Amino acid sequence: MYEVIAFYVFAISTTILFLITAFSKNVLYAMTALASGMVMISGFFFLLGADFLGVVQLIVYVGAVMALYAFGMMFFDATKDIKEKHQNPTLVFILGGLMALVFVIMFSAPIIGENVQAIHPVIEGVGNAQAVGMVLFTKYLVAFEVAAVMLLVAMIAGIILAGKKMDYSLTTNDDTYDHEDEILKGAGK
Amino acid sequence: MVDATMLPEVTAAGVIIKAILILAVIAGLAGFGTYIERKILAFMQRRLGPMHVGPHGVLQLAADGIKLFTKEDIIPQHANKIIFAIAPIITAATAFIALAAVPVFPDFTIPFIDVYVPSIASDINVGILFVLGMMAAGLYGPLLAGMAQSNKWGIIGSARTAIQFLSYEVVTGLSILAPIMMVGSLSFVDFNNYQADGALWLVVYQPVAFVLFLIAGFAETNRTPFDLLEHEAEIISGYVTEYSGMRWGLFFIGEYANMITIGIIASVVFLGGYNDFWFIPGWIMIIGKIAFSFFFMLWVRASWPHVRPDQLMWLCWKVLMPLAVINILITGLVMMIV
Amino acid sequence: MGLEQFKNRNVGTQNYKVLDLEMPPITAMEKFKQVVSRTFKPELFAGLGVTLREMINALFRGKMHTTQYPFEKLPISPRYRAIHEMLRLLESGHYRCIGCGLCEKICISNCISMDTRYDENQRKEVTEYTINFGRCIFCGYCAEVCPELAIVHGGRYETASEQRASFSLFEDMLTPIDKLNLQQEYQGFGAISSNADENIKKTPLAY
Repeated sequence: MYEVIAFYVFAISTTILFLITAFSKNVLYAMTALASGMVMISGFFFLLGADFLGVVQLIVYVGAVMALYAFGMMFFDATKDIKEKHQNPTLVFILGGLMALVFVIMFSAPIIGENVQAIHPVIEGVGNAQAVGMVLFTKYLVAFEVAAVMLLVAMIAGIILAGKKMDYSLTTNDDTYDHEDEILKGAGK
Repeated sequence: MVDATMLPEVTAAGVIIKAILILAVIAGLAGFGTYIERKILAFMQRRLGPMHVGPHGVLQLAADGIKLFTKEDIIPQHANKIIFAIAPIITAATAFIALAAVPVFPDFTIPFIDVYVPSIASDINVGILFVLGMMAAGLYGPLLAGMAQSNKWGIIGSARTAIQFLSYEVVTGLSILAPIMMVGSLSFVDFNNYQADGALWLVVYQPVAFVLFLIAGFAETNRTPFDLLEHEAEIISGYVTEYSGMRWGLFFIGEYANMITIGIIASVVFLGGYNDFWFIPGWIMIIGKIAFSFFFMLWVRASWPHVRPDQLMWLCWKVLMPLAVINILITGLVMMIV
Repeated sequence: MGLEQFKNRNVGTQNYKVLDLEMPPITAMEKFKQVVSRTFKPELFAGLGVTLREMINALFRGKMHTTQYPFEKLPISPRYRAIHEMLRLLESGHYRCIGCGLCEKICISNCISMDTRYDENQRKEVTEYTINFGRCIFCGYCAEVCPELAIVHGGRYETASEQRASFSLFEDMLTPIDKLNLQQEYQGFGAISSNADENIKKTPLAY
């Protein structure tokens, strides 16, 4: 009973929040709705008893959207609406409609074809974190490791790209200049 | 707490009573925390602090409350009104939601109506992650508040919120991972039981993780070495510049509730939890530990200067994160060998 | 703290300490060493110790600094120039003022006004004497010029008022007759210095 009520509350609020994300012209509204929608989705995991995944959803998306906010803050004035340029509305309409159709077909195909059956049923007496760990380190080990290496490569590349001129001071145009040195030297005179 | 089968069944009534208890007590404590903070900071500077409302100023909280409730609630003209209004609620609400998964008081049974009130309002088995995630979500309050108020100090405050969040969150997670590996669970009850019956506190095995967690905790609660978001000398009040009245008060209730939460996590995870210590009963031990960690935050605020935002990023990414990773590696190696 | 310390104006000879700061580290190894030494030096804890020590001092050793001002007041210097007082002669109890009018004359903000007449003994008598404290700048010239040490500056520094022009009458400033035994010889601004005798010189005849 409670679960059904909770499900509908989460479902309706998630839908509304993501609709706001898509249709709002204000950066602040869009991002706030996105963040709260992500939190609402984690509610579904808690309802299903997958506490660990719910919490991971919470932590990961809270952090991810926070980074998005940082970009939003840099690029837009959060208190004003954004004027969007629609150069080819017909194309946008057709592409968007097609994508929606593909998604509907993708998700409804298994339900129509065959009832979904879990290949790895829930093991009794094992917590969520253990269950996720078992699946991750047995069946999906290769994918997991490849993803890890990929992320490492991306991280190093990001650091190198961003850190090209890290020791170059914009204020003095001097490579060897260091503000800490200046303070210490100035005090030592 | 040791044997789950001996405990009475947790009913909905018990959970609701618990929730009301947490809300009432922690909200009261959070308000009272402002009085304690002013008093202790005053003593450390050899001042008296608030003295006039009630004996030694203990009723200052009531005076502040009346002031905050009756103050005019101003929303700036060009602010984004909806976001401006919900931002303080996010901070306060997440602080209290985080407390839902934390053991706050010992469990007890109300005598006449025979309702069992549990120690944790919702004993989910990933308690620590839930609390940390909720506290991280709490930073949306300052972020949105700063961005919504169309004030340059506010937007600097929220930019600092973002970088602070992106800096410390990694350290919090990694530092608490080592004790999690040792205990093998994410539940606060398991952490408590791991240190029960005369076993050494986890801080003995994991001193590095404890220090890292404390540092990250200071950043998480915006306490002084890392109070970048609202540092008066630099950015007026940061994200609370335009706030007044009860909305402003909600931010502070949230901040003090977060301080209590960090105190509880540090006590349960690292400092032995609510186990008996020699002859001292457990509930006195846990209250003492939480009180000490609260005092420690005020003590640090009275003693240390605060850091610049770039120093915070440098510290978190270049020093603390490698240290935390090395700590995890060593913990893993030792656990594998032993 | 005595008055002598305030009078020491020899700025250059005070005890300044020059810190011996080392040069900043240059190589990576030196930087690493600096980080390690700063991490493990108990400097941060020295800071914590200082505040804790001060807290213990304040709470248990009676070194609290706060003065709860309206209820307790700090003693002020005798040379402090606050609201004027009119003194009486210690022996007869008659007021000291001889009505010479010097204070009225010298007052640079024109806030003293007085009126005198000859009484039945052909002595000058002060009939009216007011000071406008809205104008008074507390320069102390009146006290300095007074030949009888009759008008002096007292210690009443709480001069907040409901009006901009707040006058004070002669009777308000005069020492009450029943408190004559409490009146003390004024040591402050305008009083004769303790070594006045040594400083007296004969007027040269050339003048």
